[in-house]
Amino acid sequence: MTSAEIVGMLLAWTPFLAGGFAWNILISLVAMAIGTVLGAVLARLRLSGRKSLARTSLVVTELTRNIPTFVFLFYLAFLIPAEFEISGQIHVFPAWLKAALALSVAVVGFVSDNLFVAWQHWRNHNHAAALLFVPSWTMYLLIIVMASSTASVIGVGEIVSRCNIIIAAVGGDETMFWVYAYAIGYFFIFCFPLNWAMGHVKKRLLARVGTASPQKSGK
Amino acid sequence: MSSRPILHAAVCVLALIAILGDREALADRLDLIQKRGTLVVGVKSDYPPFGMLDANGRLIGFEPDLAAELARRLDVRLQLVAVSSTNRLQKLEEGAIDVVIATLGDTPQRRRIATIVEPNYYASGVTVVAPPGNRLSGWADLRGKKVCATQGAYFNRPMAQRFLLDLQVFNGTRDTKLALRDGRCVAWLYDDTGIASILNDPEWANYETPLPSTMISPWAMAIAASEHGSRLERILSDAIADWHRSGWLLEIEQRWDIKPSRFLADAHELWTRVRSDGDPVCTRLASGEWPTECRNKLLLTSTDVAGLYHVGLLIKERTGLNLTILYDAYDRDLFLSGLWMTLHLMVTSIAGSLLVGCLGALAAESGTPFLHGFVRLSAAVGRMTPPLLLIYLIFFGVGHIVVTRIGWTFDGSVIAIFCLSLYTGCAIVVALLEASAVLKHQEPGFSLGWRNLPRVLRLAYASVVASLVNVVKATGMASIIAVPELISASTAIVAEQGNPAVMMNVLMITYFLLVMSTVRIFNYIERRMLQHDVR
Repeated sequence: MTSAEIVGMLLAWTPFLAGGFAWNILISLVAMAIGTVLGAVLARLRLSGRKSLARTSLVVTELTRNIPTFVFLFYLAFLIPAEFEISGQIHVFPAWLKAALALSVAVVGFVSDNLFVAWQHWRNHNHAAALLFVPSWTMYLLIIVMASSTASVIGVGEIVSRCNIIIAAVGGDETMFWVYAYAIGYFFIFCFPLNWAMGHVKKRLLARVGTASPQKSGK
Repeated sequence: MSSRPILHAAVCVLALIAILGDREALADRLDLIQKRGTLVVGVKSDYPPFGMLDANGRLIGFEPDLAAELARRLDVRLQLVAVSSTNRLQKLEEGAIDVVIATLGDTPQRRRIATIVEPNYYASGVTVVAPPGNRLSGWADLRGKKVCATQGAYFNRPMAQRFLLDLQVFNGTRDTKLALRDGRCVAWLYDDTGIASILNDPEWANYETPLPSTMISPWAMAIAASEHGSRLERILSDAIADWHRSGWLLEIEQRWDIKPSRFLADAHELWTRVRSDGDPVCTRLASGEWPTECRNKLLLTSTDVAGLYHVGLLIKERTGLNLTILYDAYDRDLFLSGLWMTLHLMVTSIAGSLLVGCLGALAAESGTPFLHGFVRLSAAVGRMTPPLLLIYLIFFGVGHIVVTRIGWTFDGSVIAIFCLSLYTGCAIVVALLEASAVLKHQEPGFSLGWRNLPRVLRLAYASVVASLVNVVKATGMASIIAVPELISASTAIVAEQGNPAVMMNVLMITYFLLVMSTVRIFNYIERRMLQHDVR
C-alpha cells in the first residue's frame, strides 16, 4: 500500500469512524450522567448529620472505588439479559447501555469523593475551591471517553469495533496499524483541547483560592 | 379337593420357572448374538463420513468400522442396519438391533431410556465455518458479530448467551450456506462433524474452521435398557477402552479423513496414563465401574463420586450453583493459572508504570531544554491514548510489521504490560513533575534527580497510588489479546460449563479482593512512611 492509498482509505472510512466515535461520546455522557446523579446522592449522604447514613454512604463509595470497570463490563454483559419482558412486551437492553452502566460505577466513586470536598468548601464560602469540581469533572469525562473504547469487547459498534470492521473489510497487513493509529488520533483531537482548557481553568481557580485564603487546603 | 391347590401351586411354580428361565435366556443378548452368529448394529446412512452409503448402497464410515471390529471381537458376522436420529433408540428397545452406534449424544434423558455404554467413543462439538481470510482466532472475536445459524440446533441459544453472538438464524442449512456466501454474517455456527463433511465439498474447499470446537457432547454406543450390567455391556465397554488405549480410534479417524478431534487425543492420553505405582489410571474399580476421571463428567451425579467432587456436585444438585472451579480439576487449574497470570500482570504493570513514570520525570528534569518539552508532550499524548487501542495497535499493527520484517514475535502478556505501563507511566510523569514544581516553588535551588526522587514520590504519593490502583483494575484488558488471565479463564469456563452467573460473580469478587488488597498495601506503605517521618 502506498501512502496515498492509505490516506485515501482512511478518508473513505472517516464518516464511518466518526459515527463510531459519536457512540463513544454518547456512552461516556450517559455514564457521567448516571454516575454524577448517584455520586451526588452519596456525597450528600456523607455530609448528613446522621452518622449511620454517612457511614453507609462511605462504605458504598469505597465499594465503587474497588470495582474494576473492565471486569464489571463483562459482568453486566453476561448477567443482564439482552431482552426482557414487561407485561407481555419484549424490551431490548442495548449493549451500549450496559457499557454506560459499567463505566458509571467509576464515576459514582469519583463524584462522591470530589463533590463531598467541593460541598464542604462551598459551605465554608470558599467558592473558588468548590468550583474546582468543574474542571476535575470534565477531566474525568475524558478518562471515561478513553475507557469507553472497552465497550467494543461486548460488541458495541463504537470506534474500536468499527476499526475492526474496516480492517476486516479492507484487508492488507499494514491496514491494521494505520486504522488503529487514526482512531487514536480521534481521541487525541477530542481530549487535547478540552484537557488544555480545563487545565487553564484549574490554574485560574487555584490562583483565586491562593489569594482568597492563604492556608493551603489539604487533599 | 385337597390336591387341587397343590397342583395349582405346582403349575404356577413351573410356569414361573419357565418364564424366569426364558427371560434368563432372552435377557442375555450376548447368548442370542452368539446363537444366531450375527451382530446387528444400527448405524447412520446420512452422516458422512461417520455413517453413509457407498456407490453400491453399502453402509460404510467411521461407525460401521467400529461395528465391524466389534463383530470380529465377538467372532460373529456383522449385519448393519440404517437407523435415523428419531428411530434409533426405538429399534433398540424393540430388539430389532443389538447395538446402536449412530452419532448418539450421551445425555441424561437418553440414559433413562437406554443403557449407555461407557466410555464414550467420540464427541462432537460446535464450531464455525468462516470464509477465507477471516481474522478469527478465538471465540471472543465473535462477540457482538453477526453469526449465521441454522434453526433448531440445540446449541444456538447457549452459544449466543455464552459468547454474546448476534445470531442470524436461517431456515435449513441451504439458506444458512447462502447467507454465509453473501457475507450476511462473518461465520456459520454448526456441528463440527457436520461442518467436516461440508468442507469436503469442492465448492467450500477454501472455507475454514478457525476456532476450536466447544460445547463438546460425547457420543456413546447404546444397548437396550434391560441390558444394564450385562455381559454384552461389559464386552462393549472393554472394547472401547482398548481402542482408546491402543489409539485405534485415532487411526480410524485418520482413515476417514476426519479433522483430528481433541476428544480422541485427550481420551488416548487419559486411558494410557499410569499412576505413580505403575497401574493405569483407568482400571475398573471393585464395583466393576470405571473411575470417576475416566467417565463422562457432564452426567455424573453426586452418588457416583467422592471427595471434593462429591461436595461440588452436591452443591450443584441442591442449589443449582455450578462451582466447577471447586470440583473440576481442569476448571480449577484454568482458574488458578488465570489468577496467577493476573497477579503477574498486576505486579509487573505497577513496577513498569513506576519505572516509566520515574524515568520520564528524571529525563524531563535532566536540564536538557528540548527533552523537557518532548517528555511533557509525550506524556500528554500517552495519557490521551485509550490503553485498549494502544494494545491493539502494538499487538496487531506493530506486532505484524515486526514479525514480517524482523521475525520477532512478542508474548501477549509482555505487550499488555508494556502498554498499560506506558499509559499509567505518563500519568505518573505528570504527577511527579507537578510535585517537583511545588518543591521548586518552596526551595528555589531544588532540582529533581536520583537523590531526591523519593521525596518527590512521597509528595505525589496520593495521585501516583491512584494511577497504580487504576492500572491494577485495567489488567483485565490483556484478555482482548488472549492473554490467559482471570477474565479469559472465566469466560472460557462459562463457555464450557454454561454457568455465567456463578463464574461472573466469582470473577467479580476475586478482582474486587485483589484491588482492595492493593489499596490496603499502598495505605500500609503510606502509614509506614509517615511513622518514619515522625521518628
